[in-house]
Amino acid sequence: MMERDRKVIGGSETKIDIRELSDRRAKFILSGVSSAFANALRRSAIAEVPTLAIDDINIYENTSVLFDEMLALRLGLIPLETDLDSYILRSECKCDGGCPQCQVSLTLSAEGPKVVYSGELKSSDPKIVPSDERIPIIKLMEGQKVYLEAIARLGKGQEHSKWQPAMCSYKNMPTISVSKCNGCGACVEVCPTGILKLEDTLKITNELDCSLCRLCEDVCESRAIHIGSDPTSFVFNLESHGSLPAEEVILRSADNIKEKIDGLKKCLKKLS
Amino acid sequence: MDMIPVRCFTCGNVISSSWEDYKKRVEERKKEMGTNEIRVGDILDDLGIKRYCCRRMILSHVELVDALAKY
Repeated sequence: MMERDRKVIGGSETKIDIRELSDRRAKFILSGVSSAFANALRRSAIAEVPTLAIDDINIYENTSVLFDEMLALRLGLIPLETDLDSYILRSECKCDGGCPQCQVSLTLSAEGPKVVYSGELKSSDPKIVPSDERIPIIKLMEGQKVYLEAIARLGKGQEHSKWQPAMCSYKNMPTISVSKCNGCGACVEVCPTGILKLEDTLKITNELDCSLCRLCEDVCESRAIHIGSDPTSFVFNLESHGSLPAEEVILRSADNIKEKIDGLKKCLKKLS
Repeated sequence: MDMIPVRCFTCGNVISSSWEDYKKRVEERKKEMGTNEIRVGDILDDLGIKRYCCRRMILSHVELVDALAKY
């Protein structure tokens, strides 16, 4: 996990509260940071963390109904399980035309009639396999054949979305306050997320799920409910596409920001 | 587009792996109810497709591979 309870400029404390963490999903509350920092983390997770994806393709035979280009596009979008410690970006590799350090070769050979799934891709590195085996690539009829070699490389989401490791979004932490409620229940009915409950008094069951739509504010005649948001606290939602575990995406994106700041520091030192 | 797109156009989530499961369950329900006008929202929920960008990928897809195969 990131360094917890670290002091930041301005005196407020940075905190991470993890609400949900699995291989594919992460939900956490990042508090004590500016919206600029939260957005930097989001953008870094989407565009700067490298993953493997099929980038080059040699088609030896394709008698299917799909054009070569469409087949290549479909293959490129298949997420591959990525081991970032054993591969480097091609731009950082010393070789000329690709070597085992910067690329992996996968082959596909199939004959109809059948549906070809991503699980049929045979990789030269047993660690690098499609993270989902049930992605239909192409449907072959009787006598149709596909035989190809695909080259997977590391890349970043800023270049093409096929290298994007995850979907990452955030919202400000919602704060709901209630005063002088007359218990009419109009807000309970109108809330699309169903987080309000009317017992003896108005109860808020799960503040985090509030979408900040303010429908309850509009409908409340006595102006008793108020929806606000905490500008220094963010509810992050990250969903990995399968190439990297959700946790690794967050850690790598934080490392990426650190690296960039260090780079900037060095530049500034040279100037002074 | 003749086969289900591999990923959602908007968010990039892989949705094609759920397509065949979805198709099978929709057909089953159509048979069960005896009509083509059925509700499928809970099937999408069950398959873990919750954002509306991903849901429209599956809902609006028309499979044309078999129709094209003749040519």
